[in-house]
Amino acid sequence: MSGQKKCPDCGSSEIVEDAHYAQNQLVCADCGFILTEGLLTTTFQDEEHLQEVTYSRSTGQNEQLSRCKLRGIKRVQDLCKVLYLPAVFEDTALSYFQRAIEHPSFHLVSLEKKEILVGCCVFVTCRQHNWPLTMGTICSLLYAEKELFASVYLCVLKELELDVPALSLTDLVKTHLNSFKLFQSSASVPAKFAEDKEKMVARTIQIVELASETWLVTGRHPVPIVTAAAYLAWQSLQPAGRLTCTFPRFCKLAGTDLPPPAHLRLKELNDVLLRMASQLAWLRVLNVDKKTVVKHIGDLLQHRHFLLRSSFSSGDTEDQSATAAGDGSESSPQAAGGSAQAEGRHPGGKQKCSSVRRPLLPPCLINPRKRLRTAALSPSDQAITGDEAISDSEIEQYLRSQEEMREFSKAQAWH
Amino acid sequence: MDADSDVALDILITNVVCVFRTRCHLNLRKIALEGANVIYKRDVGKVLMKLRKPRITATIWSSGKVICTGATSEEEAKFGARRLARTLQKLGFQVIFTDFKVVNVLAVCNMPFEIRLPEFTKSNRPHASYEPELHPAVCYRIKPLRATLQIFSTGSITVTGPNVKAVASAVEQIYPFVFESRKEIL
Repeated sequence: MSGQKKCPDCGSSEIVEDAHYAQNQLVCADCGFILTEGLLTTTFQDEEHLQEVTYSRSTGQNEQLSRCKLRGIKRVQDLCKVLYLPAVFEDTALSYFQRAIEHPSFHLVSLEKKEILVGCCVFVTCRQHNWPLTMGTICSLLYAEKELFASVYLCVLKELELDVPALSLTDLVKTHLNSFKLFQSSASVPAKFAEDKEKMVARTIQIVELASETWLVTGRHPVPIVTAAAYLAWQSLQPAGRLTCTFPRFCKLAGTDLPPPAHLRLKELNDVLLRMASQLAWLRVLNVDKKTVVKHIGDLLQHRHFLLRSSFSSGDTEDQSATAAGDGSESSPQAAGGSAQAEGRHPGGKQKCSSVRRPLLPPCLINPRKRLRTAALSPSDQAITGDEAISDSEIEQYLRSQEEMREFSKAQAWH
Repeated sequence: MDADSDVALDILITNVVCVFRTRCHLNLRKIALEGANVIYKRDVGKVLMKLRKPRITATIWSSGKVICTGATSEEEAKFGARRLARTLQKLGFQVIFTDFKVVNVLAVCNMPFEIRLPEFTKSNRPHASYEPELHPAVCYRIKPLRATLQIFSTGSITVTGPNVKAVASAVEQIYPFVFESRKEIL
């Protein structure tokens, strides 16, 4: 306060600053005259410096929503924080959750299902923004069973009429490899096992693309394929020291689990690589087998487009290339454009080489499942109309006779 | 192969489910005692009865409702259901065979080519749903027919629908879409 104020009423200079219900006032100490009053409301300038409290953190939300919804909203927010998702995802997931919880089919479900509903909303949001999140991750975060999660997920998709795009494998590779602990040497990872992340990711993506072009990915669970591809990529980058490391050991080093189908995927990938290698002249000479093919993965991937084309049209290449030795090197299954080319290339060469080198087929055709076919209806069966007369003798066979009944009740009496 | 050419696809019906009512109360204990080929499930309150000639399994409740499964055609289902009603009549109940209805038909069909599932899903967005983490097949629903098809990448298709005609028309409807996303194996 600059300058001494004087009370206009009594003239005293005893002016004190007092707060009357948070309103600052200048009051004369002698007579109680109010000189100036503060403002009850804040000005625009004052409000610039106020800290904004979001609705969800104020108590306003608590009063409007039920406890179940509040808990669910908090769980969604927690889940998004744990997964380091952007803020947009959280808003979308919250809106889905609120829509879902209003829906009558989620009213009287168990608490477990409500928890899973939270996970489903987050999962759907991630998939819609092409953020690679697998169901396995969400289930492990929620401690939920996969079957229950699957049923709630399908229910949510149906009720909210959501459209979810397919999981992109390339993104999944990057995210999955992020969790591997191989990228720097530590106590458990010797120096020769540590690998550069960029190179490994690039090579794994190439191998996964290879797998998707050769029918190893369709209809199969994506994570085992990524794990098997990562193993092959890791081995091929420094084959000298790593060939002796087995698949389970690799997974332990990397700190991930080994999913059971991964062994089969590894075998299939090896078969495909062997087929590709059979097309490369210098590899045919070397007599590559499934253990040593890893060393040549770099070369195979480099020429994969050509090798896949020729392996899908293996009949033609036999005729055309003079050195058609059936070594069994793996042809690169990179026959993405192979089918188009193959049409022009080999009119009838397939039958000729069927014994030596069959064309690259999807695994389901190589090991066809035996189907139990019921016998075709006989002519008399086909003439059934459903309204024929029923004879007594036919029905007698389904009824017990008196002695049988007595025997049966005697047997039951011993229970 | 042209999509319009006449390709005879044989649709194999594997199961037909039907229901009927007997309009009278049934004493399950009596059926379990006097009937042959029956299994009495006391905890859930039903009796399973198996017929031999049309290979059918019937679930009988004490209210008089009966569900028959296992037939391979609609006529065979009616054939078996009537035999079952006759057997219950012989056991002494005042059975009237009413409200017979075929509820579900399950059929299997094989396409002569493989199918690219991701491509198929993309071009049939709202009706087709594909989750490789859950099930290896694409689930395609045809709402007006109330039919569901499960399409596998090997070309095998499993169809379920309310009757045989719906199943046949579902296969007809799906053929051009599946043909578009086929894989040529040369």
